[in-house]
Amino acid sequence: MPLLSLKNIDVSYDGKTNILEKLNLSINKGELVSLLGPSGCGKTTTLRVIAGFIEPVGGQFILEDQNFTKIPVHKRNFGIVFQSYALFPHLTVFDNVAFGLKMKKISKDKIKDLVDSILNTVDLSSLSQRYPKELSGGQRQRVAIARALVIEPKLLLLDEPLSNLDAKLRLKMRVEIKKLQRQMGITTVFVTHDQEECFSISDKVAVMNAGEIEQFDTPENIYSNPSTEFVARFVGFENFIDLSNISGNEFHAKGGKKFTINSNRDITKENIKGTIRPDDIEIVDENSNKENLIDGSIDVRTYLGKSYQYNIKTDLGTLVVNGSNNNVYSQGDNIKLYLPSSKIILV
Amino acid sequence: MKQNKGLFAFVILVYSFLFIPIIIIAATSFGSESYVAFPPRGFSLKWYHNVFTTESFIRTFKISMEVSVLATLIALALGIPGAYALTRFDFKGKTLLKNFFFSPKIVPGVVTGFVMFQFIVINLKLPIYYSLLLGLSIFEIPYAIRVIGSSLEMVDYTMEEAAMSLGASRLQTFFRVVFPNITSGIIASFMLSFISAFNNVPVTLFLSGPGISTLPITMMNYVEYNYDPTISALSVLLMLMTIGIMFVVEKTLGINNL
Amino acid sequence: MKKKWAYLLMAPGLIVIVAFLIIPILSSILPTFHDGDSLTFSSYTDFFKDSYYNQIFMRTLRISIITVVICAILGVPTAYFVSKSNKKIRGILIACTIFPLLTNSVIRSFAWITILGRNGVLNNALLTLNLIAEPKRLLYTEGAIIVGSVYLFLPLMIVSLVGVMENIEGELFEAAESLGASKIKAFFKVILPLSVPGLIVGCVLVFTGAASAYTTPQLLGGNRKMVLSTLIYQQTMTLGDWYGASVVATIMIVTSILVMGTINRLAAKLNERGV
Repeated sequence: MPLLSLKNIDVSYDGKTNILEKLNLSINKGELVSLLGPSGCGKTTTLRVIAGFIEPVGGQFILEDQNFTKIPVHKRNFGIVFQSYALFPHLTVFDNVAFGLKMKKISKDKIKDLVDSILNTVDLSSLSQRYPKELSGGQRQRVAIARALVIEPKLLLLDEPLSNLDAKLRLKMRVEIKKLQRQMGITTVFVTHDQEECFSISDKVAVMNAGEIEQFDTPENIYSNPSTEFVARFVGFENFIDLSNISGNEFHAKGGKKFTINSNRDITKENIKGTIRPDDIEIVDENSNKENLIDGSIDVRTYLGKSYQYNIKTDLGTLVVNGSNNNVYSQGDNIKLYLPSSKIILV
Repeated sequence: MKQNKGLFAFVILVYSFLFIPIIIIAATSFGSESYVAFPPRGFSLKWYHNVFTTESFIRTFKISMEVSVLATLIALALGIPGAYALTRFDFKGKTLLKNFFFSPKIVPGVVTGFVMFQFIVINLKLPIYYSLLLGLSIFEIPYAIRVIGSSLEMVDYTMEEAAMSLGASRLQTFFRVVFPNITSGIIASFMLSFISAFNNVPVTLFLSGPGISTLPITMMNYVEYNYDPTISALSVLLMLMTIGIMFVVEKTLGINNL
Repeated sequence: MKKKWAYLLMAPGLIVIVAFLIIPILSSILPTFHDGDSLTFSSYTDFFKDSYYNQIFMRTLRISIITVVICAILGVPTAYFVSKSNKKIRGILIACTIFPLLTNSVIRSFAWITILGRNGVLNNALLTLNLIAEPKRLLYTEGAIIVGSVYLFLPLMIVSLVGVMENIEGELFEAAESLGASKIKAFFKVILPLSVPGLIVGCVLVFTGAASAYTTPQLLGGNRKMVLSTLIYQQTMTLGDWYGASVVATIMIVTSILVMGTINRLAAKLNERGV
């Protein structure tokens, strides 16, 4: 029984085009779920529906068996961490964190205890009388998190909370967020466009595109087994080959080239695409006799540090391949490529 | 964002307060009675006819146009270099000098009019016409500085450094790189300074004399002794001019950027 | 070398302002502090002791303060609405706010003569509705000057507030809501405190404007309800009492600077706090 479910949510600003279309999502208690996608995919809109800033034109938002669709924002008791942090510039750190408690008319002493304790947790006790503009980016971020957590929210909603931090701090803060979330066991929805950040802390990820969820699964499954071309591209698959299914695991590419692909996916349509990561294609000897071999010639070589990347011209178009530092090829070299049958994903 | 109904009603009331008087004036200008009546009982254009046949309105309108345009040009000529210096340079006493530039707005208009009348007209014996021109020019300098200063701030300073690195002198840089990028600010500033000079009463009140007066002063005198819709008709014509000016400002700088 | 440029560019404007505004001001007001060779304030103590002048001074202050308060009360919610409207509506509303501002003050005061006059729109309406038996004297009262001044300066208040409110991040309001504040509470706890800089600018503009306006008090208050600016004109042009006018001019300048100084110091104090 999920804690939270969005059922057939439709969102439209002008009554004609839908920003979200029949969106469904279920989240279990204690999970950290990420909404991942490029800008404009509807991930922030989804978060704002949950938060109550946007009222959907259709569908329902259920939380613990209660219909939350029309409950006003200030009665939901969700903690929200905004992209800009949205700290109140006219209030001290202490008063920022105490804001939500004051709204609940909790006694002064109790407020002081609760605020002190949460500031202690996020390691900000010494800065409680400072104003937001006197804090560093990372400190502001922690104030925003403390302010959202101190009201003991039913849900924690994070809207690209790390995007304003520099790379080093981002790594540190995402570990801290994960730690706090585990510690408090709070169900969390995290919006981001950064795939690595998202995979590193999420229990489950919903990859979104054009107002719909393309795949909702664990980070591991999404990374290794994307279900659509969009998801595949988003998680780093760069080579796509048009295929038609002949029988079982036999496929034909354009020009009649035959491929064997071991897929656990049900093949329902005749024309399909196979995709493979640059890391998974191997450059092999001219006289190798493996299956799934194609001829190519090196077009462009770039150096990535841990490897070289080649753009290779083949009958199937240009393929991107990462090759080791031990065996370096130059432009114009003719080579053979091996595409392991277990590494080709059908989308 | 969903708006609160009470707030919406409040805002409607506030804008009604701002516009009902203007609508009443427009309506009465077409009335047929010989006094200002609302709602008007008949329709007539005779008050518009009246405006164009009243010699003092036509004469002072011409004076107003002339001195407002000239005063605005003088204010811009003095204000543009000042605005450039204030936005592009750091120097000692900047705040103080800035305050000097804005002093014509800090000193109440009637005081400006009074002291200039006493000093320039009476002591220096400058002809009224030139005193009026001078008074309005000074009054408009802060406008010119503010509007042009804000459009200068939008011009990226590195652009000027680029021009100078390519061999342009400071003067060339200003005319070839800065000026083309602040033309919309200059047009907007011209329009706003012009309308503000045209509308001015407190300064021109003191700096007018025999044969030389501005349209607003003539209107004021007319209102104090007459109560017919000629002024309504004249007001409608002047408001059309204002709308025209706002249109130009919107097309150049954008009303929102003021 | 750079600095020389700056001073050179500013020189023409500054020279004109100093020569034809600052020096005339000094030449008018300095003599009011002289009695022979000694410094004296007797002209000013006389002014405030004279009940007629004192009354005019107090009326000017009273009208300005009431105008500021009414403009703030009407302006704050209106400006908030404008700043939160979508781009198109905001553009229209701002144009509607600026239009009166660019319209001649004679026209705007004349409009209120037609409304408040003895045979004006308001008296006619009240008579028709049988709410009054005979026309009331609405014109040439302090009330008329206040209504006219609010009408004149409300747009300034709205424009100054919109400028600040537009820059208050929408997320701050949402953050307050998410922490349990209703829309009204969120407005008073977050938006209003953050609008204070705009409110201060608006108050300064409205106060100094109302305290020095000439057209509106002249047309709506007449000789019955004089204020400092109409007094200065009367003393110069009707009475030829230039010395007296200079005293009034000093009082107007000092009041204007004092009010601006006080309010700006208040603003600086608020700024220190971190807003």
